[in-house]
This record gives sequence, structure tokens and C-alpha cells, in this order.
Amino acid sequence: MILEKDNASRCARMAKIKLTPAEEEQYGAQLQELFNWVKQLSTVDVSGVELSSAAQAAYLRPDQPVTDPALAQAIVGAFNDKEGASVKVKKVL
Amino acid sequence: MKTVFEIAQAVRNGELTAREAVLESLCKIKELNPQINAFVEVWPEEALKRAEEIDARREKGEKLGALAGVPVGIKDNILYKGHKATCCSKMLENYVAPYNATVVEKLLAADAVIIGRTNMDEFAMGSSNQTSVYGPAHNPVDFDRVPGGSSGGSAAAVAAGMVPAALGTDTGGSVRQPASFCGIVGVKPGYGRISRYGIVAFSSGADQVGVLTSDVKDAALMLEVLCGRDNNDSTSLDEPVPAFSQNFTPDIKGLKVGMPKGFLDDLDPEIKEKILQAADKMKSLGAELVEVEVPHAKYSAPCYYIITSAEASSNLARFDGIRYGYSAKDAKDLNDQYESNRAPFGWEVKKRIIIGSTALRAENYKECYLQAVKVRELIKRDFAEAFKNVDVILTPTSPTTAFTLGAHKDNPLAVYLADLYTCQGNIGGLAGISVPCGNDKLGLPVGLQFYGPILQEEKILNAAYHFEKGL
Repeated sequence: MILEKDNASRCARMAKIKLTPAEEEQYGAQLQELFNWVKQLSTVDVSGVELSSAAQAAYLRPDQPVTDPALAQAIVGAFNDKEGASVKVKKVL
Repeated sequence: MKTVFEIAQAVRNGELTAREAVLESLCKIKELNPQINAFVEVWPEEALKRAEEIDARREKGEKLGALAGVPVGIKDNILYKGHKATCCSKMLENYVAPYNATVVEKLLAADAVIIGRTNMDEFAMGSSNQTSVYGPAHNPVDFDRVPGGSSGGSAAAVAAGMVPAALGTDTGGSVRQPASFCGIVGVKPGYGRISRYGIVAFSSGADQVGVLTSDVKDAALMLEVLCGRDNNDSTSLDEPVPAFSQNFTPDIKGLKVGMPKGFLDDLDPEIKEKILQAADKMKSLGAELVEVEVPHAKYSAPCYYIITSAEASSNLARFDGIRYGYSAKDAKDLNDQYESNRAPFGWEVKKRIIIGSTALRAENYKECYLQAVKVRELIKRDFAEAFKNVDVILTPTSPTTAFTLGAHKDNPLAVYLADLYTCQGNIGGLAGISVPCGNDKLGLPVGLQFYGPILQEEKILNAAYHFEKGL
């Protein structure tokens, strides 16, 4: 594992989590300790372990569209700002 | 308070009205919830109205369901149409469920009365119920101690006699560990046994709905109602659901109980003593104790934290302020928008998103996430091999009894290790049950856990039922 190359603030930034300098100070050591702890997994010999994609494929639902107008309306209805069947979101670009 | 069985039977027979059952529950909540904080919201008028409808149907001669008039609490990450479901997070403080979770539909179809939503660790991340935005729930056995987590409110509500049953979710032990801390029964069936449609996702490869009750028979009845295939959850299993509550065997003579080698090493001596006494009890009831080896199980906790955090970082991406959750009004650009929108998450949630996204980054993926997935495969193989020789596996539920509120605040690793025995079940996809096996010197409950292979919930229920009866 190459987690040791990271530090708390870079990991947080890449995860789109904002940490204040005080939080970095407070939590940085916790994160480093956890990263060090999970490193023990790298000592396990996994040679010969093949992962089957068949098991994952069994969970795929049939590729058929399902429509439920009432539910769609309820979900759109949950938004504060909407227009007809569309929801308004903040302009970010 | 009466058990689930007793209430349902009495309501069906007309010896008790659903209204009386609900009123008793509401009175107990009113009396104890200010101290315990098990419920974060109660719906008294609605619950009474529904109870009266059930009573009216009985009076008309209608046949009532398996949970007739039974008051039930649901964890705050389960959707109940028209009601708040906040995951005890500021992020979802105003979210109202637009549809019912399948488990809610099943409870309602069985004539249960959903009475309120229960406290939990924020987004089900935690083992002590201390990360809730509503404040911690307290252990009814000792108010200065945690009830466990993340389904701490559900466990505390049942242990305090506020409701005879509550639903929780279990991603690393979040039903079984609080059951152990509060001295009640908690079951997590095998992965895929109960639909997760309408449950706020934390880790899709490990999440499972579970039940908390005061005894094993009630847990079996609840599972009977809740298990089964659901087309809305493609991971739910299309397998028959046995009549769990009717299928207990007359005895457990010849039942092979696996004792994993090394599992009790370094364990707190008091808990070790209780577990060994429990094993002796199983033997005296006719079971055969067999040593089994699950050598990779010791890696379950770090494996669990990598995989579930990776899945959480993906699942929680939907709380971006556009699809769900808080939306900052004054962000400077897209990056600032994303970061600001995530500000309402508590530190435990942020931490897991950071760990998960770090494990999934291209430069770490192979050595971190993929390695953990391969270790998970080895753990699964170990258990599959062990179950060739035994019917169930016996372990402690937790390495400790309930700790004091605020303990381990600056030592998250200590809290993560509290999941040591339970997260193996989620990593392995196993069915697990925690049943009380006595108290420590402080009078705090100790939990005994039985594991069984997926689709063999009957075996763990049966083992726990006979152990409970033999106490």
C-alpha cells in the first residue's frame, strides 16, 4: 500500500472534504493511525485469489425500463425549487 | 412489556386491543425517552389511528396479520412514506421519505404499528450511537453508558420496554453489538435475505436489515415477516422463507458448534469466562463442541473498514446538495460547491469518505481496495470450509461490555476494534445472532453470538433459542 505517501489534507482535498487547519491538526493523526492500521492487509498472501465476476453479474437487474409516474412526481415534489417536472439547481459553472 | 408473540396473539384473539398495546408503548416512551433518547421522533396520533383501524377490522371478523397491533420502532435510515428519515444527520434534517421501504410495506401488511423513528449513529457509521445529530442514546441498563451502535436507539427502545421490537441495519455489527450491550436479542440474517429497497445505503456489499427483540422467538417471527425476494432490490435472494418461529427443534442433541481457534485469546477475562460458560451450556444441552480454524478472520476489521468506506464514499456522493442534502448558497466555484455542500457531515462520516476515496484512487486501488477484496474472499473461504464440519460457530458478540459515554472519543481505533467479532459476518455474508449470556461484575450484559451460513438462519435461531431456554 502506498498510503504513507499521502497526508491528511491531501486525502481530504481529493475526497472533496474541506478541513480547517484546526481540524487537520486534530484529525490528521487519527487518519494516519487508521491508514497505518489497515496496512496489515498487505501482509496477507492473496496470490491465486481470483475474483469471480459471475457472482456480481447475478445481482444485475433485468435491463427493462420501469416507470412509476406517481413516484417520479413524489420525488420531484420533494424539491423546494421546481418548474413542472424539472427541478431547479444552483448554477455552478 | 409483552412480547411480539403475546401482543399479536392477544390482539387477534380479542384479549387485547391494538390501541391498548400502542398506548402502553406510548406511555413507556413518554416516561423513559427523556432520559434514554431512543426515539428521535414519535407519531402518537397516527399510531393510535392505525391501531383503531386494526381493532375495527378485527371486530368485523377480518383475519389479522402476524404482527397484529405490535408497536414497532424503525431506525432513522428506513424510509416510511410521508415521514422524516434523516439518518440522524444534519445533512438530511428536512428529508421526508417519498415512498415506503419494502420492510415498512411488510410490517404494515402484517398489521404492525410503526410508532416512531429511532436514534442511530450518523449514517449508521459508529458503534456507540454517539455520532447522532440528536445527541447520544443512553443504555437503559446504565444511563451513563452507550447502548452500542449504530442501531443504538432501536436496541435501547426494546431493552427499556418502549416497544417489543425494532428494526435496525447491520453493516459491521450494528444490530448485534447494541443488542449485546443492552441485553436483548439482535439478528442479522444472511446477505440478501431482506430487501434493502428504501434503506439509505451505506455499504451496499455489507448492509443488511436486522431485528431487535427481547427473545429469540420474537426475532424469528419478525424475520419470517421481513425476509424474501423483492424485485426492487436485485441483491435480495429468491429463496423460500421458512416459518422460522415454528421450526425450533425439540432439542439440540448432536448440533455441531464450532469454536474458532484463537478467538478467545487476549479477550477480557470476564467476557471469556461467560463465553466458555455458554459453550459448556451448549454442551450440556447435547451439542458437540468442535474446534474450527478461520485463520484470515483476524483481518476482518481492517478489511471491513477499507471495503465499506470505499462503498460509502461512492454511496454518499449523492449527498451533493443537488440530488440530496444541504446546498451551500455562496460557493465560489464547482469545487467549493462540492466541499461546502459536504460541510454538514459529522467527522466520522467525513473520515470514512476520506478513507474510502483514498483507497479507491487509481494509485492506491490495487494495493488497497483490491487487496481488501481479495482478503475478503479468503475470509469467506475460511468460513465456508469451517461450515463443512459444523452447524453453527460460537463467538463473543463484542470484546467489551457497554462503555461509558465519551470513552474512546480520541481513539477511534478502539471503537473500530469493538466490531472485531461482528464484522466477520458482514464480510463473510453470514447470518448472525446475538443472545444475552449473563452479566459482568458491574451488571452489564454480555452477548453470545452464533454464526451460520447464508440461507441457514434456522440453525442460528435454533441454537440461540435452546441456549436462551437453558439459561
